[in-house]
Amino acid sequence: MNFDFDLIVRSFPLLLVGAGVTVQITAFSVSLGMLIGMFVGIARLSNTWIIKTLAAVYVDFIRGTPLLVQIFLIYFALPIIVGQRIDPFIAAITACSINSGAYVAEIFRGGIQSIDKGQMEAGRSLGMTWGQTMRHIILPQAFKRIIPPLGNEFIAMMKDSSLVSVIGFEELTRRGQLIIARTYGSFEIWLSVAFIYLIMTFTISRLVDYLERRYKIDDKH
Amino acid sequence: MISIKNIHKKFGKLHVLKGIDAHIAEKEVVVIIGPSGSGKSTLLRCINYLEEPTEGEIIVDGIPLTSEANINKVREEVGMVFQRFNLFPHKSVLDNVKLAPMTVRKMPKAEAEKIALDLLEKVGLADKAHAYPEQLSGGQQQRVAIARALAMRPKVMLFDEPTSALDPEMVKEVLDVMKSLAHEGMTMAIVTHEMGFAREVGDRVLFMDEGRLVEEGTPDEIFSHAKEERTQSFLSKIL
Repeated sequence: MNFDFDLIVRSFPLLLVGAGVTVQITAFSVSLGMLIGMFVGIARLSNTWIIKTLAAVYVDFIRGTPLLVQIFLIYFALPIIVGQRIDPFIAAITACSINSGAYVAEIFRGGIQSIDKGQMEAGRSLGMTWGQTMRHIILPQAFKRIIPPLGNEFIAMMKDSSLVSVIGFEELTRRGQLIIARTYGSFEIWLSVAFIYLIMTFTISRLVDYLERRYKIDDKH
Repeated sequence: MISIKNIHKKFGKLHVLKGIDAHIAEKEVVVIIGPSGSGKSTLLRCINYLEEPTEGEIIVDGIPLTSEANINKVREEVGMVFQRFNLFPHKSVLDNVKLAPMTVRKMPKAEAEKIALDLLEKVGLADKAHAYPEQLSGGQQQRVAIARALAMRPKVMLFDEPTSALDPEMVKEVLDVMKSLAHEGMTMAIVTHEMGFAREVGDRVLFMDEGRLVEEGTPDEIFSHAKEERTQSFLSKIL
C-alpha cells in the first residue's frame, strides 16, 4: 500500500474548514440543548401532571429513537408538513439540539435530585418561591455537580454531529467523504478525519477537567 | 398568633397526626416534647406548610393557610430553624443571611447587608461573615441559621430539634441565643429534647404521643405534676 502523505497535507486545510463547521454545530446544539435540557429537567420534577408527562414523553421519544432517524424526520419529513424546504444548517442544529436536550434534561434532573431536600425546605421556609429557591439555591449547587456529565454530553454531541453529513451538510465527516470521492485516498483521509476529531474531543475533555477542578477548589474556599 | 384546628396528617397508611388542636399566643414560648415518632416535628412543619395537613385548619397571624399566595405570605412571617441547619453551602455566611430579605422583601443590598451584619453580631458571629458554612462548627452553623431566619423579621420562630445534631459542648451556645430571643418577646414554637431548657424558657409545654396531644400545661405542671400516665412514664425515663 502506498501512503500518500502529501494528500494529507493538501487536504488538511479543507478538512479544517469542516472541523470548524463541526465545532459550530456542536457549540450551537449543546448550548441550545442545555437550555432545553434545563427546563425539561426541571419540568420532569414538576408536581403538575401534564408538564411532567410531556417532559417524560419528549425524553423517552428522543432517547428511544436514533439520532439519524431524527435528522431524517426533520430534514425530509417536516418539510412535507410545513410545505417548505428546510436549510440543512437549521435542520442539523435543530435535530442535534432537540436530541441533546433530552440527554441534558436527564443530567439536570439527576443533579437537582442529588441536592439535599433540606435546601429546598430552607429556601421555602424563608418565604422564597419555588422558582426563586430553584434559581438561587438549587441550580447553582446542581450545576457544579453536573459539569462532568455535561462535558461527556458535549463530546458525544461532537462525535454524533458527524451524522448530519447524511443530509449533505459539509462538516468534517462530509468534507472527508467529498475529498475521498475525488482522490480515492480512503485510508489517508479517514485517518486524518479521525485524528482531527480526537484532537477536538481531547481538548474539550481537558477543559472540562479544568473546570471541574476549579469548582472543587471553589467549594473549599 | 397561631391557631391549629383538628390537624390530621397521613403519610400513605401511616397516620402521624390524629387530630391536633393547639393555640400559640403572641410572645408565648411553647415547647413540644414527646417520644420520637410522636408527630411533634410533623406538627411543627405543618405550621408553615412544609407538610400539608391531610385535614384541618391552620391560621397564622390571621392568615388561613389555604392558597399558595397565603402560604408564601405566612412563610415570610414565620422563621424556621432545622435540625440539620440547612445552610446554603455555596454562599458565604453573610450571603446566607441577606438572600431572603433581598429576594423576597426586595430590600436594597446595602440595607440587607446591614441587617445581616447586625444579626450576626447578635448571635456572636460577626467575624465569620465572609466564611463559608463548612468552615464553621455545628453550633456556629446553627447560630447562622437562626440569624438567617431572623433576617426576615419574622413574627414567629419555629425550632425543629435545633440542638439534636450538635456535639454536646455546642448545645449551650445555641440555647443561649434562643433564650435571649425568648426574653425579647419572640413568639416561639420549639420541638426539643432539652428538658432543662424547656423548663426554664417555656411558657407552656405540650406533650405529644402517637400523633395525639396528650397533655399541656406550664413547665411546672408537666414536669412536676403530670396528670397523664403516658406523660409521667415518658418523663420518668428521661429526667
